[in-house]
Amino acid sequence: MIIVLFFILLLPFLVQKIASDYTNHSLREQKRKVIDHVEKNGADYYLQGDNSYGSYTMLKEEYISLEPVADGLKVDTIKNTVRLIEKDTLNYRVLSYTFKNKNKNYLLEIGKTTASINQYNRSIQRFALYVLVALIVLTILIDLIFTRLLIRPLAKIIKTKLLNRKFPFKDQRVTTKTSTTDFKYLDESITLLMDQINEAFAKEREFTANASHELMTPISILQNKMENLLGDEQMSESVTLGIIGMMKTLDRLKKISGALLLISRIENEQFVKNDDVKVLILFNDIIEEISHRLEEKNISIGLDISDDIVLKKVNHSLLFQLFYNLINNAIKFNKQDGSILIRGLSLKNRGYEISVIDTGIGIADDQIPYIFDRFRKVNISENSGHGLGLAIVKSIAAYHNLEISIQSKVGEGTTLSVKSIQN
Amino acid sequence: MKVLIVEDEKTLAYEMVTFLQKAFYVCDLAYTFKDALEKVELNQYDFILIDLGLPDGDGLQILQKAKRNNAEAAYIILTARGNLEDRIIGLDLGADDYLAKPFYLLELQSRMQAIARRKFNIAVELLVLGEFSVDLQKRLVLHQNEQIELSKKEFDLLSYLLLHKNRVLTRMQLSEHIWGTYADDDYDSNYIDAHIKNIRKKLNVWAATDWLETVRGVGYRIRK
Repeated sequence: MIIVLFFILLLPFLVQKIASDYTNHSLREQKRKVIDHVEKNGADYYLQGDNSYGSYTMLKEEYISLEPVADGLKVDTIKNTVRLIEKDTLNYRVLSYTFKNKNKNYLLEIGKTTASINQYNRSIQRFALYVLVALIVLTILIDLIFTRLLIRPLAKIIKTKLLNRKFPFKDQRVTTKTSTTDFKYLDESITLLMDQINEAFAKEREFTANASHELMTPISILQNKMENLLGDEQMSESVTLGIIGMMKTLDRLKKISGALLLISRIENEQFVKNDDVKVLILFNDIIEEISHRLEEKNISIGLDISDDIVLKKVNHSLLFQLFYNLINNAIKFNKQDGSILIRGLSLKNRGYEISVIDTGIGIADDQIPYIFDRFRKVNISENSGHGLGLAIVKSIAAYHNLEISIQSKVGEGTTLSVKSIQN
Repeated sequence: MKVLIVEDEKTLAYEMVTFLQKAFYVCDLAYTFKDALEKVELNQYDFILIDLGLPDGDGLQILQKAKRNNAEAAYIILTARGNLEDRIIGLDLGADDYLAKPFYLLELQSRMQAIARRKFNIAVELLVLGEFSVDLQKRLVLHQNEQIELSKKEFDLLSYLLLHKNRVLTRMQLSEHIWGTYADDDYDSNYIDAHIKNIRKKLNVWAATDWLETVRGVGYRIRK
């Protein structure tokens, strides 16, 4: 670009140089012709007795003069000078040349007005500019087309590998065709990285599944041993209470392992999504199952769901678990005499939104991003369980393509919404 | 009743045997797939309990093969895999019930009794509880032919305690029986207490319920 600018700035000088060179050349050419004529016809033919000969065009753009001069004078120059021709003072570029003809020395002058030279000058300049601009435009166009052509593999890599990718990367792997080594390398590196991420994720899931599964057998043994011990009538009261304490701890371990195993099973897609679930019936079942928990804090529960809503191709027991956990939380973190509203809403895009609205203690804004993390207990003051309830909710929702959103105000309550996206 | 327990984890098998023998079952053990196949070929059982995670074979195959010689037996699948597919396949292959590990032995026993009632047509006479009688089949509690309204959960609780009478049942055992294993995260719930309170309230209108005991710090027991 700088080169182009430099060239444009230089253009007038260049053109001027070309024009003056051309003028000089044509002046010399004319000189040669004039001398040819003079040699052929003799100088007297032109002078015709006068002491000088002059000829110019009507507009005085050019003139030729011939006059005898002293023998000793020798001139051969081309320069810009001022000449007075018929009362007009004009700028000329003049070729002055002395030559001998029949032993006499003559001075020949051929002039051209600089104005007429500049006339060419300008048009040449303009023409050159046009050509230059056209060239620049052409170059830019070709550049663009070529670059696009050249980086097409890059665009493809971005489109297929980076844009709109959803973890875990399960879709078919595409190799981008390219002959450029760098792009090939980039493509392979990205694929490799994604494979590594997938592998790490698969390993983590496998580990969680194996670990919780392997824990189940020892838990089973302990639980059954304690059960048998409790059945022994000989046991003293203090020993019995000790065993009960151990059973409680074991129960906790069992529930944590069970929850982790459930999450890894959902992530491993071990559940069949083949049920059609009537939302209203689902919620009535959940409320029946959970109603005993409402009594403790005297919480009222309202259900505002139309009876014709059916969720298709889902897993009934997982959805039950999802909303059970949400309502359970709404009870657990509610206040005395609080209330819970379960509200269904048909969305414009044919989806459906179910909100569980409670009048509970709420969640602080800075805690909201973490509530779905495993083992994260936001409201520590409560008996909040193992902290996997919402992690289970999250994995069930992800497995069913449900979107969860949360709004909460400390002291006023929490609204958790589950949105189905149906096409 | 004769029971075959197919379980590769010896300690666990031993605990099951200990428990079931106390409940007057005759127990036989098989620790491997091969062992199990031999035993079902040679002997007749009333119950066959199969662990799916055997080291040398698939427990579901035992179920299939055992059906030839032990067509009348009741089959219960026990598994730590907890895979839903296993459950469906197992029940499709003719298993009578399915229990995910870890389970309470009390739960196993009550499932076995339920299957026995259903499968072997064991008539259950009315069970007497003080001045009350309980009809497990019709799910009724009666006081001199007068029917007492109990909720579904309350009846489940009462009949479970009755099934394991003279034995203290912990709140954990009771709540797992009633609410199953929803990945519920309440460790120390007192919801069982609330239900027991309701049962007592409803029955006390008619007669005393001193047969339903609270064992402090442990749980509840029906003494007869």
